[in-house]
Amino acid sequence: MRTYTTLRAAIAGATLLAVGCGGAAFAQDVTLEYWVYSDFAQGDALALQQEFIKEFADAHPGVKINITGKGDDDLTAGQVAGAASGNVPDVFMNAQHIGAQLVEVGALANIYDKFMALPEDVRNQFDKDALDTCMPKPDELYCLPYTGFGSLLFRNLTVLEKAGVDTTTPPATWDEWFAQMQKVKEAGMYAIPDETLVFNSIGEIYATSGNSDTWGFNWDNRTTRIDEATMTKVLQKFVDMVPLNTGTSRNDQATKDLFISNQLAFHTIGPWVNPTYAEAAKTSGLKYDFVLIPGDTAGKTGGVRSYEIVGVAPGPNEDVAFEFASFITEKTQMARWAKLLSRYNANAAAMADPEVSALPLIKVSVEAAHGAMNLAAPYFVDSVPSCYNSTVIDYASATSDGEYTPAEGAKEMIAELNDCLAN
Amino acid sequence: MSFRRYLPHYLMVAPFMILFVAFFLYPILSGLFYSFHDWNGVKAPEFVGFGNYDRILVSREFLRAMGNLFFYIAITVPLGIFVALGLALLVDSFTGRWANFFRNAFFMPVVLPAFLAATIWRWIYAPNFGLLNMILGWFGVPSINFLNDTGTMIYALIAVDIWVSAGFNMVIILAGLKNIPTELYEAARLDGATKLQQIRHITIPMLGPVLFFVFTYGLISAMQVFDKPWLLTGSSFTSYGGRRNALLFPVMDMMGRAFGGVKFGEAAAYGFLLTVAIVFVTALMFALRAWSERK
Repeated sequence: MRTYTTLRAAIAGATLLAVGCGGAAFAQDVTLEYWVYSDFAQGDALALQQEFIKEFADAHPGVKINITGKGDDDLTAGQVAGAASGNVPDVFMNAQHIGAQLVEVGALANIYDKFMALPEDVRNQFDKDALDTCMPKPDELYCLPYTGFGSLLFRNLTVLEKAGVDTTTPPATWDEWFAQMQKVKEAGMYAIPDETLVFNSIGEIYATSGNSDTWGFNWDNRTTRIDEATMTKVLQKFVDMVPLNTGTSRNDQATKDLFISNQLAFHTIGPWVNPTYAEAAKTSGLKYDFVLIPGDTAGKTGGVRSYEIVGVAPGPNEDVAFEFASFITEKTQMARWAKLLSRYNANAAAMADPEVSALPLIKVSVEAAHGAMNLAAPYFVDSVPSCYNSTVIDYASATSDGEYTPAEGAKEMIAELNDCLAN
Repeated sequence: MSFRRYLPHYLMVAPFMILFVAFFLYPILSGLFYSFHDWNGVKAPEFVGFGNYDRILVSREFLRAMGNLFFYIAITVPLGIFVALGLALLVDSFTGRWANFFRNAFFMPVVLPAFLAATIWRWIYAPNFGLLNMILGWFGVPSINFLNDTGTMIYALIAVDIWVSAGFNMVIILAGLKNIPTELYEAARLDGATKLQQIRHITIPMLGPVLFFVFTYGLISAMQVFDKPWLLTGSSFTSYGGRRNALLFPVMDMMGRAFGGVKFGEAAAYGFLLTVAIVFVTALMFALRAWSERK
């Protein structure tokens, strides 16, 4: 059975390369500009990307691909400004939650028809939920989901053992987790970063009580989907965590330093922090693991999920750009990519590859992504105003500072968010 | 006839005029045009009158950014000049290689890329492990989270700003010091004036035009502050300004609206408000200078 599946995937991959998605033969030389995240454009990741490029170029004589690495803001600024000046890169990566802005400025082509023209085997390789987030309407598809994440709970086992916490079983509920945090504090160490400082970490904790239906946007009437009762409960959690936290955000280097130096027990973040901790495990004996973020009830997980996307710009190179995009997101390439980075991605067939699914980080990431809450859904509908995230952060911080009660904070936050979205 | 006669003159000023129109006048006028339109940078602009201005002027972010800016200017500009003047007097008191050494040492932060400066200071300010907290720890002071505590964030930024700009201002003031005739100091010494009296009655009055330049330049720079708070707070287009917007400034807010929210019309209105404010402040400074010279 597995041989048959592998054979089918191999045939599908070969079809993509040999025939091309539309089977186009290029009469003239084409140079594609391909923008990727800066960490995908260095070291082993760059070497593999260049292998992909070479394989594609060998199968498509006349096609040349220039890869450029850019930081998050540079990708967005370059794509938005490029759309304004008619000079968008042909194929590019960005975060899913930036998608609506890119659609609005015309940087992203609707690739639905091209995608539907792909062999069914190839189309079915993608994680359905991930693919759905690229489709604001049934006949609109603005991206191919690429790498992704579901938030994980990194645990410093040394700290937990010192605090008398049994590390053999991860906490199954919020109450269990919070009790462990308190034990860590009593033992004179930090339990968790200040989760009110970053939008994503607020989302991660909100997801312990809420879900995708009560988070994100209702674009039809331009209101927030945040539920007042759930947010009240979550703000109370932030208040409860004040005496236990480091005062640093989940993204700060200081947070990683505290974790590595055995002063911090828990770190909720995506899998990209793992190489740093794995290196510290080798060099300084850090003992850690990663588990699912527990929710209010057993079986429910917290955390947020989101994807990096591969988009194609409208224009004369759109067809070949889509071919390249579908080539790099195809199972064979995604499996190689996952094995190299140990990172979860949206190609479900690649994730099911035995060599890939055996990787511990990927195994737990797949579970995390399936149980987590969408970070800023629905995507690709409308641009999120800049006041939205800052309002969420402001009220979460102000409530944890004692400026509002959780009930007041939730009420005011939602009113302010609705104003922000309405204007 | 007269055009042909003055043609060489026109040709002489043409390069400047072309650059002036292309890179100064056109951006300002197009910014003004787009500020009255709903525009995302690509689609056809839609006229909204003063809608963008209305939205900005009542927004919580704008009010917070302006409040931060006034506080920041009120401290960083005078304090920055005071520090630069002190450094200039110190360097001026040295001769030979020591003067060169200190001048270069104090000027070094000016040429550091902003990203590098911010990285250094993030490490200095880091809680628990940071250099500053390590030093404070020796005196029993508990760790302070300089870049996440709303009570310390703006002061942390001001310290970085002064560290970066003091060297530049020092060099300008130092040039001014060299132009003060030494006879004035000799006469003062003969009259028994102390060092402090010489600074107060000779140095500072004679440095008037230089200090005016440094003050005006510092004021305009401060109004456009962006890179340091952006980097110190680890900001991005979708989340900027640090904890409770304690380090939110107008240019950051403008960038967020432009690239985070794709509201280029709103950002243009913001930019135009800022331009008007800078022109107004500069004109006010020159008027005050003219008035003080007439007195």
